[in-house]
Amino acid sequence: MLTALLQDVHLLGESAFRPSIPPEQSIAHPAMTAHSFALPVIIFTTFWGLIGIAGPWFVPKGPNRGVIITMLVATAVCCYLFWLIAILAQLNPLFGPQLKNETIWYVRFLWE
Amino acid sequence: MGSLFRSESMCLAQLFLQSGTAYECLSALGEKGLVQFRDLNQNVSSFQRKFVGEVKRCEELERILVYLVQEITRADIPLPEGEASPPAPPLKHVLEMQEQLQKLEVELREVTKNKEKLRKNLLELVEYTHMLRITKTFLKRNVEFEPTYEEFPALENDSLLDYSCMQRLGAKLGFVSGLIQQGRVEAFERMLWRACKGYTIVTYAELDESLEDPETGEVIKWYVFLISFWGDQIGHKVKKICDCYHCHVYPYPNTAEERREIQEGLNTRIQDLYTVLHKTEDYLRQVLCKAAESVCSRVVQVRKMKAIYHMLNMCSFDVTNKCLIAEVWCPEVDLPGLRRALEEGSRESGATIPSFMNTIPTKETPPTLIRTNKFTEGFQNIVDAYGVGSYREVNPALFTIITFPFLFAVMFGDFGHGFVMFLFALLLVLNENHPRLSQSQEILRMFFNGRYILLLMGLFSVYTGLIYNDCFSKSVNLFGSGWNVSAMYSSSHSREEQKRMVLWNDSTIRHSRTLQLDPNIPGVFRGPYPFGIDPIWNLATNRLTFLNSFKMKMSVILGIIHMTFGVILGIFNHLHFRKKFNIYLVSVPEILFMLCIFGYLIFMIIYKWLAYSAETSREAPSILIEFINMFLFPSSETHGLYPGQAHVQRVLLALTVLSVPVLFLGKPLFLLWLHNGRSCFGVSRSGYTLVRKDSEEEVSLLGSQDMEEGSNRMEEGCREVTCEEFNFGEILMTQTIHSIEYCLGCISNTASYLRLWALSLAHAQLSDVLWAMLMRVGLRVDTTYGVFLLLPVMAFFAVLTIFILLIMEGLSAFLHAIRLHWVEFQNKFYVGAGTKFVPFSFSLLSSKFSHDDNIA
Repeated sequence: MLTALLQDVHLLGESAFRPSIPPEQSIAHPAMTAHSFALPVIIFTTFWGLIGIAGPWFVPKGPNRGVIITMLVATAVCCYLFWLIAILAQLNPLFGPQLKNETIWYVRFLWE
Repeated sequence: MGSLFRSESMCLAQLFLQSGTAYECLSALGEKGLVQFRDLNQNVSSFQRKFVGEVKRCEELERILVYLVQEITRADIPLPEGEASPPAPPLKHVLEMQEQLQKLEVELREVTKNKEKLRKNLLELVEYTHMLRITKTFLKRNVEFEPTYEEFPALENDSLLDYSCMQRLGAKLGFVSGLIQQGRVEAFERMLWRACKGYTIVTYAELDESLEDPETGEVIKWYVFLISFWGDQIGHKVKKICDCYHCHVYPYPNTAEERREIQEGLNTRIQDLYTVLHKTEDYLRQVLCKAAESVCSRVVQVRKMKAIYHMLNMCSFDVTNKCLIAEVWCPEVDLPGLRRALEEGSRESGATIPSFMNTIPTKETPPTLIRTNKFTEGFQNIVDAYGVGSYREVNPALFTIITFPFLFAVMFGDFGHGFVMFLFALLLVLNENHPRLSQSQEILRMFFNGRYILLLMGLFSVYTGLIYNDCFSKSVNLFGSGWNVSAMYSSSHSREEQKRMVLWNDSTIRHSRTLQLDPNIPGVFRGPYPFGIDPIWNLATNRLTFLNSFKMKMSVILGIIHMTFGVILGIFNHLHFRKKFNIYLVSVPEILFMLCIFGYLIFMIIYKWLAYSAETSREAPSILIEFINMFLFPSSETHGLYPGQAHVQRVLLALTVLSVPVLFLGKPLFLLWLHNGRSCFGVSRSGYTLVRKDSEEEVSLLGSQDMEEGSNRMEEGCREVTCEEFNFGEILMTQTIHSIEYCLGCISNTASYLRLWALSLAHAQLSDVLWAMLMRVGLRVDTTYGVFLLLPVMAFFAVLTIFILLIMEGLSAFLHAIRLHWVEFQNKFYVGAGTKFVPFSFSLLSSKFSHDDNIA
């Protein structure tokens, strides 16, 4: 919801905006969010792997055992695959986002 | 796996029902709902069957019960809706029940008739009283009227009209008085004027209270009229006109005393009638109340009885005419239950010889039974709507439970909308035992039946909404964006870097409207967002460029995996039906064809994602061009995706081209070779002979597996085990059609999966537009009255979200997900040519008794 506020209230401060970093301080403050690739892969692979591979062993015996096991495995496969496609598509971006100048100011101000 | 994977195995059983026990055995069978009866008397019309008389008797009883129920509901007596359903009445009680009901009906009809007569009588008397009362005022009023005729000038001087004065004048004055309906008054008057040419005086007044019209029963307004006429001829005319207009005419009293007498007499009579009427109504109510206690169970009992006789009509008699033979389809696991039901029935009827059964082998295809519970029923219905599965083939519903909501969610992908849908479905599920929901009308009933489907759809939509990072068209920044804007500023880099790269400073930003981040610059892209799409894309103007590429590739990947899964399910079918050659000659070429072309496409997509980054973005080849060039072999060798690509592609293409003729010709040629090489295909392997189903003597054992080799779509020519005809041409033609369908279908179906991209794009855009047009307008107003403006704006936003985005888009995505399942997924393995197993069960008869029995 942060982005909502960003988008819609920016008119307020456009004229009064000053860049937060004065040009004298040229050392950039590095953003806190440097994302690794390995960590999410490990986490999610283990998570969906637990559900899809280990989960079936814990399903209680009953008439619906087969259905529940199939559901667990299918859910794990579908959701893991979907997440994997999303992260692989962003792994090596070939181009970057094109932002409006007001957005650039506010992203710099708010997120960094 | 559970029985949802495959339909259950059935066997054909013959029941020998002794004539004394047949009814009770069927009653026991109907209570349990185990078996499906086959109609053995198909060429006999329904009027010639054995138990027609009993069926007629049941229908007569039903008619009486319907009449009873009608009367009971008309008298507003509540009917006890009992939950327990009583068993069908034993034969000995049927006769007395019939007598009872008939007597009740006769009594009821008589009492009702009497009541109606009394009421009509009462109404007449009441009308007479009113008429007398009002015409009295006419007399007083007449004094004020101007005399229209100069023949009677003395009228105005008289205080009271004296009839004798009229008579002295020689003309006999007659009076006709009565009541007429409001709508007919004017026409009546006009007619009188025209017909009697002024020899009548008509006075009328409106009756204040509305009375009931005894013929139609409606309550309408009446007018009381008084016609005075001179002469007999006019009198006749007037009377005829009154008849014509359906007036209620009552004798007019000549003198005031007569009037008083009549009025007193009427009053007493009315009082008497009221008392009698009340007593009659009380008695009627009593009778109906007593009947109401047992009418519900009677209705159920009669319905069960009728169902039993219908089933009995389907059985045939054996040669001795003492025993009924029925043929039933029974699931093999229920055979002991069937035996027990027969024993129970025999015991209840107290017959000495019990009924018994035995299983008989058959060549026919049994019906398909898949046991579902309330959760799986919805998904099974989706599959059955396309076609009920053939006997013992793989049931796609088991996988549809997850893949259908998942594909829906890929097209619907919004966290907020998905959550609302999930809440709605949760509401339905938690209240599923609420009686009003389970008996609701059409549209709500559809939602109610699909509540578990909606629940899963909502859940998966929440997940895909999180991955698309879309919540009511806004993104959420949970982990911090992977794109860093500050790093684009020249102030963040050293001098040498600033010389090499195009960087920003404040003036660049002030002067250019939009600027694009460059991932080549170190520090700008800090790694992929760990869960889903990076939130910065929601703020970007080139958002769709990135998303389109992502979603198209995702659709293609999901589609190819879905279809390959379908082909693999076909392998299970071939294994089960003991047609291993199908695996090698049909399934393996199909998989090779699909994977060599489209599996390679997936490989190229993933390779490009992994191997090419911002540095090499200039040389990154377009996958589409590469894919097309794989088939076209262009003269100019473009820079490929990876080294050695040309060779790999040539090998794959060769594999594909080799698998096509195997797909076309492999199976027909193999079958031809089998047919020529062996005497009788299929049977000699198992070494059994087949007998017809109703011979009792030589029942050779036919292994159950041969019964299951029933229908396979490829095998029309060779299914007869007596191998009369091996139609090579037909098999070849069928296989050719199947292969062409498959090969062309691979391409078109893969493209068809692009609807996953298209619909999710449409949903995202609609959602965005709704936000921009409504909420943004509301949130931009920053004065104090803006708060009050925001409330209706939010309400409007909510309503439009529900109607357009949830209902319309939801239905659309639902439909497309169904289409993807029915066409693209199921035509890889599903035949769907079976019939559903409908057991003889009393619970399948309609449970509501009041509204369904409407005999028009």
